[in-house]
Amino acid sequence: MRQTKPPQQQIVQQKLALDAYLSTLLDEVPEAVPSDERAGVVTKPLEKAVEPAVQQVIATQPLQNERVAFEKPVKLHPLSVMPDWAQHEFQALFFKVEHLILAAPLTDLSRTIKIDRKPGKIPGQPSWFLGLLDENDSRIGVLDTGQLIFGKLRGSQRDLEANPFKSILITQDKRWGLACDEILSIGKLKPDKVRWRTSRQKKPWLIGTVIEELTAIIDLQELVPHRKRKT
Amino acid sequence: MSEDRKQSDPIMQWVTFCLGDEKYGINVMQVQEVLRITEIAPVPGAPSYVLGIINLRGNVVTVIDTRNRFGLPSKEPDDAARVVIIETDKHIIGILVDSVAEVVEMRASEIETAPNVGNEENSKYIQGVTSRDNKLLILVDLNRFLSEDEKAELDMF
Repeated sequence: MRQTKPPQQQIVQQKLALDAYLSTLLDEVPEAVPSDERAGVVTKPLEKAVEPAVQQVIATQPLQNERVAFEKPVKLHPLSVMPDWAQHEFQALFFKVEHLILAAPLTDLSRTIKIDRKPGKIPGQPSWFLGLLDENDSRIGVLDTGQLIFGKLRGSQRDLEANPFKSILITQDKRWGLACDEILSIGKLKPDKVRWRTSRQKKPWLIGTVIEELTAIIDLQELVPHRKRKT
Repeated sequence: MSEDRKQSDPIMQWVTFCLGDEKYGINVMQVQEVLRITEIAPVPGAPSYVLGIINLRGNVVTVIDTRNRFGLPSKEPDDAARVVIIETDKHIIGILVDSVAEVVEMRASEIETAPNVGNEENSKYIQGVTSRDNKLLILVDLNRFLSEDEKAELDMF
């Protein structure tokens, strides 16, 4: 529902009014989703997430000139941050990296393997790229999940010779492998049992937290690097 | 074999060498000779990737520490170590490797582009990767092994 705006929030210029109108339309997208897809608490974080848009567009005080108003672009990122699989109950694989238990949606995974040989190290690559591994007709880029999750400073302190990773989660496209210490289990997660993040500007790979177990849910599409082709 | 395939998917020969656990390949056409390790005279003020210079039949050749260049830990050369004399853009240089393995043939179609996930500058000399005997073979583009500035600097030694 739209609220009546206080007098100081009157729209003062035509273009701003148009922006505000479009933003409002975007705000209303969650309501357009079929009702069977809006069950549970999933809609809550979505509704929460949309609130800044209109406020940023509407001038709270008379504007000195139009240019100043448009130098601050409006950022809308609530709906787009929710992957499709997060809208319904989904299956997730729970795995361990160091002492942290993480969950990844099964739809983003192809399979898991035990590490029985070292990935082939490619010179000149960042330390979180552990190398390439040929596995069942696929060449997988193996990633140090610890470094990707904890950051380079903490993650790179691990001595991989003395304490190597034990397993690899292979992504659906079979291009990337996330090295981890232990594969734990597969479980079903209901969206209302998860606290979804409403903004993913920082750590875009962290999509939410399982409320009861406090397990971080990882969006693998955001965690893996995008392979660049040399031109 | 059809002429079309010969042209579209040519066979190339690569000299393979080892550094640590990995095997690398360089284009055989750029390899001039392979030497046993000999006395390498250090050059004062040289960059860290330059081991020094050798006298190759009256010519001074700069020897590159390939381990250093590839970001691998240094290792004292042993009997298997070799200096591979290569030509890159009319510069003759030597690269020190742990050992030289063999010459392999492969089709261009067998080579896959290496993932480039970091700083492009650091890995631009990796031409691609392929598999040989169930092991990864990393193909090095010798023409990009050193930058133009670095090649110019080597000429001053």
